[in-house]
Amino acid sequence: MTPSHLSRKLAAAAIAGAIITSATAHAEKVTIGQTFLASGLDAAEGSNGWALVSHGIAEQLFRVSREGEVVPNLAASATLNDDGAWTVELAPDRFFSDGAPVTAGAVAAALNRTGAANPSARATAGRLNFTAVDDDTLTVRTEHPTTILPSILAEWAFPIYRMEGDAPIFTGPFAVKSFQPGASIEMTPNAHYAGAEARPDVTLRRIADGQSLALAFASGEVDMAFNLPVETLAMLKATDGKIVSFPVAYQYMMWMNTRTPALSDPRVRRAIDLAVSREDLVTAAQAGVPATGAFAQGYPFAAPGPLSRDLDAAAALLDEAGWALGEDGVRMRNGERLALTLYAYPQRPDLVTFQPVIRAALAGIGIAVTTQVTESPSDVAASGAFDLFLWAQHTAPAGDPGLFLSLFFETDAARNYSGWSNAAYDALIAELRDEGDPEARIALARRAQEIIAAEAPVSFLVTPEWHVGLSLALADYEPWGSDYYVIRPDLATAR
Amino acid sequence: MTAAAAGLLGRLALSWLAVVAAAFLLLRLMPSDPVDVFLAHVNIRSGPEIVAAYRAQWGLDEPLATQFLHWLGGFVTFDWGVSFETGRPVAADFAARLPYSAVIGFGGMALAVTGGFALGFFAAHRPRGLADVLSRGLAVAGQALPAFAAGLVLLWVLGVQLRWIDVFGGGFIERILLPTLLVAFFSLGSMSRLTRAGFVEVKRSPYYWTALAKGRSETGALWHHGSTAGGLVLIAGLAPELAWIIGGTAVGEIVFGVPGVSERVVQAVNHRDYAILQPYIALVALWVALVLQGARLLRRTLDPRLP
Repeated sequence: MTPSHLSRKLAAAAIAGAIITSATAHAEKVTIGQTFLASGLDAAEGSNGWALVSHGIAEQLFRVSREGEVVPNLAASATLNDDGAWTVELAPDRFFSDGAPVTAGAVAAALNRTGAANPSARATAGRLNFTAVDDDTLTVRTEHPTTILPSILAEWAFPIYRMEGDAPIFTGPFAVKSFQPGASIEMTPNAHYAGAEARPDVTLRRIADGQSLALAFASGEVDMAFNLPVETLAMLKATDGKIVSFPVAYQYMMWMNTRTPALSDPRVRRAIDLAVSREDLVTAAQAGVPATGAFAQGYPFAAPGPLSRDLDAAAALLDEAGWALGEDGVRMRNGERLALTLYAYPQRPDLVTFQPVIRAALAGIGIAVTTQVTESPSDVAASGAFDLFLWAQHTAPAGDPGLFLSLFFETDAARNYSGWSNAAYDALIAELRDEGDPEARIALARRAQEIIAAEAPVSFLVTPEWHVGLSLALADYEPWGSDYYVIRPDLATAR
Repeated sequence: MTAAAAGLLGRLALSWLAVVAAAFLLLRLMPSDPVDVFLAHVNIRSGPEIVAAYRAQWGLDEPLATQFLHWLGGFVTFDWGVSFETGRPVAADFAARLPYSAVIGFGGMALAVTGGFALGFFAAHRPRGLADVLSRGLAVAGQALPAFAAGLVLLWVLGVQLRWIDVFGGGFIERILLPTLLVAFFSLGSMSRLTRAGFVEVKRSPYYWTALAKGRSETGALWHHGSTAGGLVLIAGLAPELAWIIGGTAVGEIVFGVPGVSERVVQAVNHRDYAILQPYIALVALWVALVLQGARLLRRTLDPRLP
């Protein structure tokens, strides 16, 4: 080998080394941009618990899996005792980010503190009282009886932490290095969490505007841009990396106010449900899949579907209900036109996009629709001053169908916006509330959706998709879990 | 003098109190209850006992007058309570964010005032010249362009295409540079047109022509005799720009991801977070009152004939 050859090879090796070093250096630190950020690190305050779990900083005793099931996390199991209390066994070899083991005493102290401070932790079963039996075992007594404690403990209000003075310490795959409220969190892999060596340092940056987030991804300032506006996707096609779209559990639906004269008749509501083209709505939103029921398809208790469209059947139902087609194409009964007001709210732009599509669909069966947009959806929905109301709702935030099916559909429930009442349904939900067996709960939830579909107090429309920009460094990462688990233990850089 | 100062302070305090009391009532007349908004946001079972717990925790279960007096007492003693949405102390939140907003707002205003004054001078000096055309163009652009879109274009050009600036991940200066320029850009044109009008008025006056007849240069004569008039008009024109300074700071903070107070307030409006909105309005009212009063004093100093 001549000296010139040698020097050339050495130079090539040096360049290759520099490239590898550069790639490795880049892969050791990533920046994630998203429109929300924890407001603080105290999991007992506000909705911090949700954000801290979403950021990969904190964990609960149970979590919702990719398959939509409640699975053990920091806990190993939960058993309902004869006296109505629960025994929770902790998983072995789990640690806080400072290396201290997760003990029953620490868990009880954290969750009792949260329960006292945060009303959201008392929402589903009242106040929960945690007592350490030994280092690995807890007894949980609930103010109201429950058969679904694992699901409750998977709610966002129950992250596990340990207070060291004023500073909380968590158990998640990433530990907080520094925190600038409203701006960013610097995180490092939790050295006491399995697989830490594969995880990069993470800067989590809040960019409130979706368009700005897209531009940050285009400029290479962020390696992951979470929840990009659909209209920015075409612009980002030329950007290095890729865009991944994934279904989320925030179902789009349309309430039908059963207290109004026209919509008190289930035949009219069924006709409306049959007239809507879910495919057209997906096209209008440029993303998503037609809904099959109350829950996104990833959940085991989702209705099998599909929900059909049948204009002839819809017209026949309206005829049967006494609404005859008038000369102007709008149906009438006893001199009254079948004219409805359809509300949406701008906080969910897709819903506003849906309005003209639904108006056109209902015009096709002789229903005149006037569209309205409100900035105060909860007020209008609760007041009942609407006919039809487009709505977005996460229908299974803790991996259990009971909350949505009860809160929005039981007679006189707090958010029964449609004003619907059905004794058979109420009895079914009471049964669901008392049922502890997961398979039986799935069957009951599907049966409840069948009753809803038959009576149509709501029309389930679309399971939306969100869009995530991933740079080459994070190209292998697969987003799932809506905005509840944005950063997970499997966040590793491509090597 | 002391009586006049006391009277001035009294008027300021009364105006401020009237504004914050009206704002307190208006906030509560806004549709949507903060507890409902929060519970819908966090997606939990919201029975009456949970609603009542939050109302008690946030002090919303007290009569309105008690709520106002409680808030007012807390505000003047710097106990601003905690945010409904986040549970964080409001004063600490504002203290961390205020430097960004203050620099963007004051910086943008200072740039617009100094740049507008200089541009207005040269525009008056050479009517239909380059400075005049630029000034007119900026004024039209300031009225016609949507600020949000202009910010995104700025971001696209400087951050994405040219990559001259690390907009979101840079240091303090990099973070505030573009929003400050955005705030200044939308005021610069109108400021320069106002200043130009003041200088042009002077160019029609006999003393300006006398100065020229005495052999003074056009530039020197216009500057010597017109700077006070230009300054007076500019100061008078500051008041309507204050609304833009506040709104523009919010736009800049949102588009460029700056963690300032204004951006936090936009969030708070969506969540009906009175605990954040009320002190913000109180601070803005105080700031506007002080700036207007300061401008009035400055104008009287420059021209004692003014009332």
